[in-house]
Amino acid sequence: MKNLILRFAVVVTILASCNSNSNNPSDKHGSLNRPVSYSRNENSGTSTTKDEIDIFSIKEIVSQYMRISKGLADDNGNDAASGGKALVVSIDKTRTVSLTTENLKIWADISADAKEMAEHIGENPDNIGHQREHFVILSKDIYDLVKTFGSDQVLYKVFDSMSNEGKGGFWLSETKEFKNPYMGKAMLTSGSIQEEIRKK
Amino acid sequence: MKLTKGILLGSGILFIAIQVIRPVRNQNSQDLSTDISSVVIIPDTVLTLLKDACYDCHSNNTNYPWYSNIQPVGWLMAHHIKEAGSELKFSDFGSYSQRKQLSKLEGIGNSIEDDIMPPMYYKIMHRSAQLSTAEKLSLIKWVQQSMDSLSIDR
Repeated sequence: MKNLILRFAVVVTILASCNSNSNNPSDKHGSLNRPVSYSRNENSGTSTTKDEIDIFSIKEIVSQYMRISKGLADDNGNDAASGGKALVVSIDKTRTVSLTTENLKIWADISADAKEMAEHIGENPDNIGHQREHFVILSKDIYDLVKTFGSDQVLYKVFDSMSNEGKGGFWLSETKEFKNPYMGKAMLTSGSIQEEIRKK
Repeated sequence: MKLTKGILLGSGILFIAIQVIRPVRNQNSQDLSTDISSVVIIPDTVLTLLKDACYDCHSNNTNYPWYSNIQPVGWLMAHHIKEAGSELKFSDFGSYSQRKQLSKLEGIGNSIEDDIMPPMYYKIMHRSAQLSTAEKLSLIKWVQQSMDSLSIDR
C-alpha cells in the first residue's frame, strides 16, 4: 500500500510538469483558426480579384517546408518550430475550390498528414531529434505534393543513407548545394542528389 | 492550530464533493472492421505487448484500475486517454488513409525506439508496460513488417 502511494506521488509530480507543456498545443489549435480570417482581411485590403484568391498553389507550403529544413540544418529547433507553425497556417489557408474531385481527395490525404507532421515540429522546439523524425515523413508528403501538383521552381530530391538514424532519409532542396537537415553541423554535406524535379 | 484544522476539514469536504463528478469511460463495443487487425497481421506475442503497453490509452477500450474511481485521478486519466486517442487509436487504424497508416507506424517505431512511449507515468503504474529490450525489438520488427506489407499493397 505504501509503495502504491509513493508511486502515485511520483506520477502526480510527472503529470503536473507534463500538463504545463500540454497546455500549449490547445492554445496553438485555437490560434490555427485565426489565419484564415487574417488572409481574408489582407485580401480585402489589396486589389486581388476573387479568381486569384481561389487559385490552388502549394508555393507557400514549399517555402515553409524549406524554412523548417534550414532550421534543422542549422541545428536550430526554434527556427524549425516557427517554420512548422507557419506551415500549418499555409496548409489551412490553401484554396482548394478549383481542384477536381480526384485531386481534392489526394490533397486532403497528403495535407492532413503533412499538417500533423508540421504540428509536431512546431510543438517541439526543444527536441530537434523528434522534429527530424517528423521531417522524414513531412519530406515524403511534400515530395508527393510537388509530384502531384507540380512545382513552380526546380527542386532536388536529396538522399542520405546515414540520416534518419541509419535508416536513410531524403529531403527536398532548392539548390544543388544542399545542407543536410537530418545531420546538421555534424555532417552538413552528407547526401547525394537522387532526382531533379523540373519546373511545371 | 484552528486554521490548520479548518484547511484540513475544507479540503476533506472538497475531496468528497469532487467524487461525484465522474468522467465518461472509454469503454466501447469492439468494431473489428476498423481495428488495426483488419489491415495488418498481428502475431499473438505482439498483440499481448500492445494490449499491455498501449491499448489502455490508444484503443476504444481502457482497462481501468480501481484507483481510476478516485477523483481527480479519474479526470487526469480521462484527459490523457482523450489526448492519446486523438494522436493514435489502434481501434480506428483501419479507417486511416494508407498514408496516415504508414506515418503512424513509423511514429510508433520511433516512439518505442526513443523510449517516448509508453510514457514514464504509465510505466510506473503498470509493470507490464515496462518493455524489455527484446520486447521493444519485437515490436519494432513488427512495425517494419507491417509498413512493408502496407507499402506493397499500394
